[in-house]
Amino acid sequence: MSVLTNGKSGEEYLVMGNDAIARGALEAGVSVAAGYPGTPSSEIIENLARIAPDAGLYVEWSVNEKVALEVAAAASFAGLRSICTMKQNGVNVASDFLLHLGISGTRGGMVIVPCDDPGALSSINEGESRHFARLLEIPLIEPGDFQEALEMTRWAFDLSEELRMPVMMRSVTRLSHASGNVRFGPLPGAARSARFEYDGPFLDPLTGPMVTMPVPVRHKNQQEKIRKAEAIFETSPFNTYEGPEQPEVLIITCSACSLYSREAVKELGLGERAGILKLGTTWPLPKKLLKSRLAAAEKILFVEEVLPFLEENVMAAAAGFMGETGLKRFYGKADGTIPESGELNPDIVIAALAKITGTQYEPVAHEYARTAQEIASKHATVRDLTFCPGCPHRASFWIIHNVLELDNRKGFVCGDIGCYTLGLLPCGFGTLKTSHSMGSGTGLASGFGQLRRFGMEQPVLTVSGDSTFFHAVIPAMVNAAHHGSDIILALLDNAGTAMTGFQSHPGMPVNAQGEGAVPLDISEICRSLGAAVETSDPFDLEGTERKFLALLERGKGTRVMVLKQPCALSPERKGKKLYEVRVDPAKCLGDDCGCGRICTRVFRCPALVWDRDAGRARVDEVLCAGCGVCSSVCTNGAILREEAAQK
Amino acid sequence: MKDFGPARLAEEVLARGLCINCGACVSLCPYFRSHRGRIAMMFPCERESGRCHAYCPKTEVDLEAASRFVHGTGYPGHGIGQYREIAASRAAAPNEDSPVQSGGTVTALIAGMLEAGAIDAAVLTGRDGILPVPAIITDPAGVRFCGGSKYAASPTLSALNRAITEGYSKIALVGTPCQILAATQMRIRLTEQGHPDPVALTVGLFCTWALDYRKMEKILAARTDINSIISMDIPPPPAAVMEVRGIRDSHRIPLEEIRGAIPESCGYCADMTAEFADISVGALEGSPGKNSMVIRTIRGADSAASMIQKGRLLTEPYPEGSLRALAEASSGKRTRALSRADAAGMLNNTGESGSYLRLNAGTLAGILAR
Amino acid sequence: MNDSIKDPFNIIITGVGGQGNVMASRILGAMLSRRGYRVTIGETFGVSQRGGSVMSHLRISKKSAWSPQIPRGKADVIVALEPIEAIRTTAAYGSPESKVLANTRPIYPVQVIAGETEYPSQETIEESLGRLVRWAKFLNATGEALLLGNAILGNVIMIGALSAMEALPFTRADFESVITGSVTADKIGVNMQAFDRGAALLKKQ
Repeated sequence: MSVLTNGKSGEEYLVMGNDAIARGALEAGVSVAAGYPGTPSSEIIENLARIAPDAGLYVEWSVNEKVALEVAAAASFAGLRSICTMKQNGVNVASDFLLHLGISGTRGGMVIVPCDDPGALSSINEGESRHFARLLEIPLIEPGDFQEALEMTRWAFDLSEELRMPVMMRSVTRLSHASGNVRFGPLPGAARSARFEYDGPFLDPLTGPMVTMPVPVRHKNQQEKIRKAEAIFETSPFNTYEGPEQPEVLIITCSACSLYSREAVKELGLGERAGILKLGTTWPLPKKLLKSRLAAAEKILFVEEVLPFLEENVMAAAAGFMGETGLKRFYGKADGTIPESGELNPDIVIAALAKITGTQYEPVAHEYARTAQEIASKHATVRDLTFCPGCPHRASFWIIHNVLELDNRKGFVCGDIGCYTLGLLPCGFGTLKTSHSMGSGTGLASGFGQLRRFGMEQPVLTVSGDSTFFHAVIPAMVNAAHHGSDIILALLDNAGTAMTGFQSHPGMPVNAQGEGAVPLDISEICRSLGAAVETSDPFDLEGTERKFLALLERGKGTRVMVLKQPCALSPERKGKKLYEVRVDPAKCLGDDCGCGRICTRVFRCPALVWDRDAGRARVDEVLCAGCGVCSSVCTNGAILREEAAQK
Repeated sequence: MKDFGPARLAEEVLARGLCINCGACVSLCPYFRSHRGRIAMMFPCERESGRCHAYCPKTEVDLEAASRFVHGTGYPGHGIGQYREIAASRAAAPNEDSPVQSGGTVTALIAGMLEAGAIDAAVLTGRDGILPVPAIITDPAGVRFCGGSKYAASPTLSALNRAITEGYSKIALVGTPCQILAATQMRIRLTEQGHPDPVALTVGLFCTWALDYRKMEKILAARTDINSIISMDIPPPPAAVMEVRGIRDSHRIPLEEIRGAIPESCGYCADMTAEFADISVGALEGSPGKNSMVIRTIRGADSAASMIQKGRLLTEPYPEGSLRALAEASSGKRTRALSRADAAGMLNNTGESGSYLRLNAGTLAGILAR
Repeated sequence: MNDSIKDPFNIIITGVGGQGNVMASRILGAMLSRRGYRVTIGETFGVSQRGGSVMSHLRISKKSAWSPQIPRGKADVIVALEPIEAIRTTAAYGSPESKVLANTRPIYPVQVIAGETEYPSQETIEESLGRLVRWAKFLNATGEALLLGNAILGNVIMIGALSAMEALPFTRADFESVITGSVTADKIGVNMQAFDRGAALLKKQ
């Protein structure tokens, strides 16, 4: 049961942007969907996977974004329509294939949907996928609201088929992870059948082989397609203008920023003075449309996230027709009117527009704002991110931290991507010392592990989650094992892609559609590389510390410590306590103990509370997930745990 | 009473490389642990005052207070320190299968006292392979497994802390001079706070230096399988080697090389003969089957006398020449160490910066002028 | 029930990851959507779930879709599942005219657990909010939810209380219809109980 398939044509539904994209793909007759989980993109594949068996689709969580794009491209080559989703940095991973796919072209409509995360709300970067469209020479479109998310997705498939090249449709967190009313269109009838034609003339786009050679011919052909796209974009209904014909200020915007811009104009009452050119097709730019709009205004304000993509491209285009449109005054990131990084919001746009137009705007009285600020900074402590109660990562990092302290040689851990990236914060005892892209922890460790010859004596560790291992750690492990890098990989196996909501991965016995799949054994893969592999339960602090120390002190070369314990939020663990945990107030000596409040001050589980009035630790029964690890942390035996009755 | 916290301890001792892994700060709290010869501070601790700092023999040590507590008089700063009598001693019935050093005096003394119920536990140092491991021994038969020289510094005092927590109240401690000094500070603090003194007897072992376990392990591992080592010994000069006997092979390692494994900390140690012990025991040079036994306190004298009376220990007069040589060696170590510490500005500091040792200025001048 | 609301009407549901904030905003959105309003919900979740603050912005309008972020000072109603989140959100998005409905059960930030900062007392929280808004009500939603067997029902209790405020055009029947489509059959009863409990608690005040 899903609104995606049950939703009726012509009816409106309140759905997430990602649902609108998924429905748009269904309305376009998509057959294959592939992606790699990443906030804020994950729900597109997740929701398509749920309905896949009934809707006759094939949907997979691929091992990484590059393979996902290849899986989707194969469907296109065979004449089917396909969609491929990822978060912004996934485009970097897929970009090598995408460069070549742009030249070879596609057959069945193929849409790549990167969901960017301005402000890095759920990311460790503010990457921009839009520049890839220009760099790799493929068309780029950006929906400006939820309805457009559906309609543009649907149209993108037609566009791709018309041009015979992949189309990039870029979303952002505030569209993908926001909800709005969306009117559904009809679902198509019969599905297409798949067949890969390759016997035709070498250069025939529909029957020849799918290759990039000869490059001079095909690259030129690709650029002709881009010119064709530009011609189509000149009249696209997704490029809209609202406002007076001769506005004092012309706002050029796209994506979620068009909503902020509209709100800013309304809030300031500038409907008669400011016009909004909302572009849905952002690469290649519809230059004729731009020229006519630029001609009508003197002040131009660019409102976009994150990098000045429109700003720079429009300014470059404007330089070409400045003689006809007259001189313009440009406002945006270049002159500091709009912040150069971070997420935008209505207030930022209101402030920018107020400044340009000389309009007064005070959202609340000055005195009120000052008081509010004072009260908030005094009483509303900003919440540091932390591992959830019962999270196995807290136990794993406790052990890794202790092992490195005991070892006493300034050993360090290269970090990787997942919830455990938080291991660099106090909740992970500051254990991680590097943090970059998927798989980079092991790659960096592989390099550090070769520096013995230059006098480096520090032990080198790295971490990886189970999903990350398959995504990008395997090549780095192969590199480390082959070159004999002296490292330990701590494999934090919490049985799923926990960070993004338990999507399946190749280590699991099910696929995205919930059907049986071949589970690949990480330990066996590592052993096959010649690595010594130990496995332990991180909730057993003492036993795991012992095993880890032995592996560190006695082992040599590339070693793996598998720390196995399901995520506290996983379907198999959520709501099921292993232990009932409580503090014995008679045994907890509080500040009189020599422990320096190690349970709350250092271990910092959100479910362990320091009761100031009682001067004792206390377990918050609402938050406690019952892992029982804190009872091993208290040196005075004051935290008691009893096996919980299994529900 | 010194009253500082763990942050100062980390700064003054760990960061300056003065830690000797005596174990005095271990088993008191979750923060200090000993692993393979090194003390690690697991996490920062915010306490402003702690036993860890109070017990440490490497910072803010008041030699005058320690001497007054043990001997009722100030720190003498010459010869082998305050003592009542000195004798050549040996066990009456040496254990053939025990790896005891020289005369087996300590093993006989401690086993005898456990048997007599004069003590309820002995805190000793055993071995796991070549790694010294602290032990709480309550069975007289267990004592002999802890005999013999260890060479690597051992966190023995962690076992004393544990023994006190476990409720033993008549504990005998056998340890190196630094360990005895730490235990003395522990006893001072406990009694000042109104607790009974849980340590019934301290037996100090002569010590010129110890070895850093990890460096020692590296030297040995380069030659043999360290798990097969049976015993290690440094015969008296002029041999200048460490003899390592293993199951399959034996090695003579030049002392020159071994000295590379001596921790920095030992170079600042002024105490060769464990001057704050009740009884100090060491080798008697030139007499392989005998020990030097220095009786320093009344309770030391009582313990020794009772074991002699019970026929566990045999004593004979101490050779005059040996005493001169021992005092000379002891004074030499003291002067070398304090000269070094003085040059590094580590003595009798006032104000912000801490002191390694504090002692009477006149006494110090005398030692430095030697 | 109030069918002539300001347009757009702005509601913020605020709390801490794991409190059922997203669920509450979707239920509320669905009820208003059923009533013929255009609803926009902006949500912050993802890494912020891991102990961080979580906010949902709801824009409700008869006319058009609004931005998924409410401008400063424009929140009409703030529903806080956690007390200091009420302060934080009101300070950022509130005005003296905003109405605040707050749960009294704290979830301590880790810095409070670690002893680095203090958590304000309930009196301080009420006094602080009293300086920012004219209308603020507090109820122990988590405590009541625990009586019903599950702390997570705190969010439904808050929605029940919101219905009793009569600031928004939705009824018990709307809730029943939406919840029926959102949870398994065995959970409908307890959700209805939670809704009623919330409404009753507010009416008592």
